[in-house]
Parts: sequence; structure tokens; C-alpha cells
Amino acid sequence: MIVLAVDLLAPDAGLIIWVGITFLALLLLLKKFAWGPILSAMTTREETIHASLSQAEKALAEAKQLQSDNNKARRDAEVHSQAILREARDEAERIRTEEVDKTRVQIKQLQDSAQAEIEREKENALNSLRNEVADLAIRAAEKILRENLDADRQKKIVDNFLGDLSKN
Amino acid sequence: MIKRASIFLLLAQLAMMATPPDAFAQAAEEVPDFDALHHSANAYYLDFAPFPHVELPRIFVVQHQDGSYGLELFRSTTSAIVNGHFTVDQSAVEHGAPKEEGAAEHATPDAESHDADSTTVVAEQDAPVVADHSESAGAEVSLKDIESHLLAPAGSHVVLDLSISRHLFFAWLSMALVLFLMTRLAGMYKRGIGRDTAPKGLFQNFFETIIMFVRDEIARPNLGAKTDKYLPYLLTAFFFILVSNFLGLVPYGATATSSLMITTVLAVFTFVITQLGGTKDYWGHIFWPPGVPAFVKPILIPVEIMGIFTKPIALAIRLFANMTAGHLVILSLIGFIFSFAKMFGPGVGYAVAPVSVAFALFVYLLEILVSLIQAYVFTMLSALFISMAIQEHDHAHDDSHEVAHHSSPVSGSSEVASAV
Repeated sequence: MIVLAVDLLAPDAGLIIWVGITFLALLLLLKKFAWGPILSAMTTREETIHASLSQAEKALAEAKQLQSDNNKARRDAEVHSQAILREARDEAERIRTEEVDKTRVQIKQLQDSAQAEIEREKENALNSLRNEVADLAIRAAEKILRENLDADRQKKIVDNFLGDLSKN
Repeated sequence: MIKRASIFLLLAQLAMMATPPDAFAQAAEEVPDFDALHHSANAYYLDFAPFPHVELPRIFVVQHQDGSYGLELFRSTTSAIVNGHFTVDQSAVEHGAPKEEGAAEHATPDAESHDADSTTVVAEQDAPVVADHSESAGAEVSLKDIESHLLAPAGSHVVLDLSISRHLFFAWLSMALVLFLMTRLAGMYKRGIGRDTAPKGLFQNFFETIIMFVRDEIARPNLGAKTDKYLPYLLTAFFFILVSNFLGLVPYGATATSSLMITTVLAVFTFVITQLGGTKDYWGHIFWPPGVPAFVKPILIPVEIMGIFTKPIALAIRLFANMTAGHLVILSLIGFIFSFAKMFGPGVGYAVAPVSVAFALFVYLLEILVSLIQAYVFTMLSALFISMAIQEHDHAHDDSHEVAHHSSPVSGSSEVASAV
């Protein structure tokens, strides 16, 4: 048995009025006390996250830039140091060569001057020897002249002289 | 409510069957009547079967014989009948029964006697409401009386019945629940949880996911830049419908959204918001549809005007029908047990019971899905209708394109409607 005790589609003005008023109240209350704070908080958070993300991205880009800058600077410095080193080596080489040359020249000069000195001394010695020999010859001739008696004597004198000479 | 009620009814039946039936006819008479519609319909009490039911307050705006208006408040329907000398409107019961298809087929001697009884009452009703009737009703007020419309005492009539009905009670309950949950949620955000930090805990994460879904999947795609203006309404409607739908699936609960009156109120809200937001383009499209020859316009304009009203009507009926249908199917499946028991004897009733309960459980699970889908669909279509009204058309492009553009959301919505 089916009895349609209450019609499902029965109009009910009282229900419409109650629900209309209370639903409007619910809408206004929720809008003020729930959706407002909730949605604004969610928006704030999303903005914060968004800002943080873009900030992080920017920071990352900056860091990358910094790193590449650093790398570039390091490479430059390396190149620079290499250049300095090479320059220094070249300079040292140059100085060494210069020094060696200078020394060689000096040695040469010294050698030359020593040679000249030796030559001069030798000349001097020869001159003085020549003078001495001349003196000696004169003195020997003098002695011969003084004691020219006989041949024996003469011979004896010369021998004596020569003996003296070798002694000297 | 349905499941629990069905189990209790089953238990009641078991208890009855424990006493051996001496005759088939008697057994058939002892099987209680089971009316699916009755459980879905509105009433003025809360059902806690097998515990005593709780009557709800009755409030009437009454016009007295001398033309003055008065407000009559009663603690319960019983009180209204006993103390307020209100009478049960028997004509409503009488007129309802024959309309139902197959009522005669299922009619039992009990029903016939009841019908006969009501006709006698109707016959008496030509005379002013008799005092002795209220006296006899005062002695014992049945559940049927509580469900029925009440007539004011002699000489005056009810102008407006503002009684707290079951559907209204559950509508308020779901409103209170939504208000409580959402203000608590708002409190968390106000304290900074979820605003300055990540959302914390199951409660906040759960509801934030739903709110974000409504905002990002329903409101934003339709409303774009005007999302913030309409989001509070969409969220309120969504949560109210969702909670109402779910309250109908709880033991002893009732579905407020299975009342056409309540879904109508919701649809009226969408309607009003849509019309208030209507742009010049929106009204222009209705009263002077662009892109069609002049002789078509007289045909198209009434169609467009009808379209304004059919959208909210469809909204109201869709939600009401979906929420009522599921319950009716469950109750009908449970009702099979009683119908079979009555027609073929209790043994058949027992045999049918497991199948019926299994199917009812399946439909119950389906109803959980439907509850979610209908909350989504109502909100989605509301957003869509609002977006169609607030659209500012760019008239730079040609008319044919514009017509196609204009009609696409409509066809889309009707597709959704027919699919659901």
C-alpha cells in the first residue's frame, strides 16, 4: 500500500521564507567571518610563496652570475700571473744575459789590461835587462881593459866575470 | 537514516515473525506498511525509530474570523492539536492517495478502511470543524497526523505555516555545521597558521583543498577576474549543499536538499546574483539577439527570456531530483522485502532481504558520490550562469563567431545537465 501522506512537491511558503532568510544570514556571516579571512590568508600565502620563489630564483641567478664572475676573475688572475711569471722569467733571463755579457766584457777588459801590464812589465824587464847587460858588458870591457896583460889572465878574468854573472 | 531505519524495520519484522502466523492473510496484515515517499518527504518530527520520535515546534500565522492576524506557537504538533484546537487536514491525505499509480493494486483492507474513513471526514467538513473531532484527536495523535497539514480552529485559517519541519531542521543543522567549521578554520588562518606558515593538520588541509578546488576549478575558469566577488556565494552554496547531502546519509538524518523548496531557494539566490551581475551585453543578447536575421528575433527573444528562468529552475529540480531519487531507490529496495513478504509470505521476504540490502548498500555508496557531484554541479553551473551574465563581449569580431561563442557555454551546461 502506498499512501502519499506528504506530497514531495508540495509548496511550502514557510520553509522557503525560513531557508531564504537563514541562508542569506549564513552567506553574510560566512562572508564576513570565514571566507574573508580564509581567502585573504590564502592569497597572502600564495603571494608570499610567489615572491619567495621569484626571490630565490633571482638569488640563484645572482649567485650564478657571481660564480661566473669569480671564475672569470680567477681565470684572468691566472692568465695575469702567468704573464707576470713569464715576464719575470724573461726579465731574469735578460738580466742574467746582461750580467754575463758585462762580466765577460769586464773579464776581457781585465785580461786585456793584465796582458798590457804583462807586456809593459816584460818590456820594462827587457829594457832593464838590456841596460844591465850593456852595463855588464861595459863593466866587463872595463875590467878587460884594466887588466889586459896576457891571454891567460884575460881568459881568467872573463871566466871570473862569467862566474860572477852566473852567481848573480 | 535509511540504512539504520531499514535495519530496525527488519528487526521489527523479525520480532513479529517470531510469533507463528496462523494464517497467510493475518501474516500479510501484520507486515508493516513501508512507504518510501513518506521517508523522503518533509514532516514535523525527527524520526528516531525504534526510540520515540521528537516533535518539532509549530508556528502559524493565523487570520482570525474578525480579520486580525495572530502568531500561534506550539511546542509540538500534539500541543497544537490538543491545546490549540488545530485539526488535521484530511483532504490532503485523501487527495494524495488516488493520484499514486498502482495504489489500488497494492491496496489492502486496511488502506481501504482508512480511505473510507477519510471520505467520511471530508463529508463532514462542509460543516464548520467539529469540536468532537479535536477531542478525539486530542486523546491520541498519530504520526500521520503530525505529517499532515493542520487546519486552524473554527473561524480562522492558517495564512502562513512557519513550522520548523524536518527539512528545515536539517537545513539549519547543516548551516550551523558549515558556520562552525568555517569560522574555526578562519580562526586558524587569523592566528597565522596557513597564512604565514603551511596549513597544519588534517582539518585545515582537508577544507583548504576543497576551498581551493572551488576557487581554482569552479570559480576561476568561469569568472576570471571577478572571481573574488562571487566566490563567497559559490563557497557557501557548495558547502551548504555538500553538508546537507551528507547529513541525509547519516543515521537518523534527513536530506535538506531533497526538498524542492530548499533547492528553489538556492536557485533563486543564483538567479538573483546572476541578474544583478548582468551586463549591458547580457541584456542585449536577450532582448536583441545579435547575429540573426530580423524576422527571427521575435522568435528568439521569448526563447531567451525563457532561458533566464529555465536555468535556475533546472538547478533547483536537478539537485532536488538527484537527492530524492537516491533515497527513493534505497527505500524502494528495502521496501521490496516488505512487498514480497506481503504478497508471497514472510519466507520470500527473508529470501529477498539479503539481495535488497546488498543493492541498497551499493546505491548508498553511489549516493556518496552523487552528494559530491551534485554539490559540484550546482556550484559549477551557478558559476557558469553568473559568468554568462557578467561577460563583456568584444564586438570587434564578426557576429557569427560571436553567436557560436555565446551558445557554446549554454550547450556545455545542458550537456552537463543531461549527463548528470
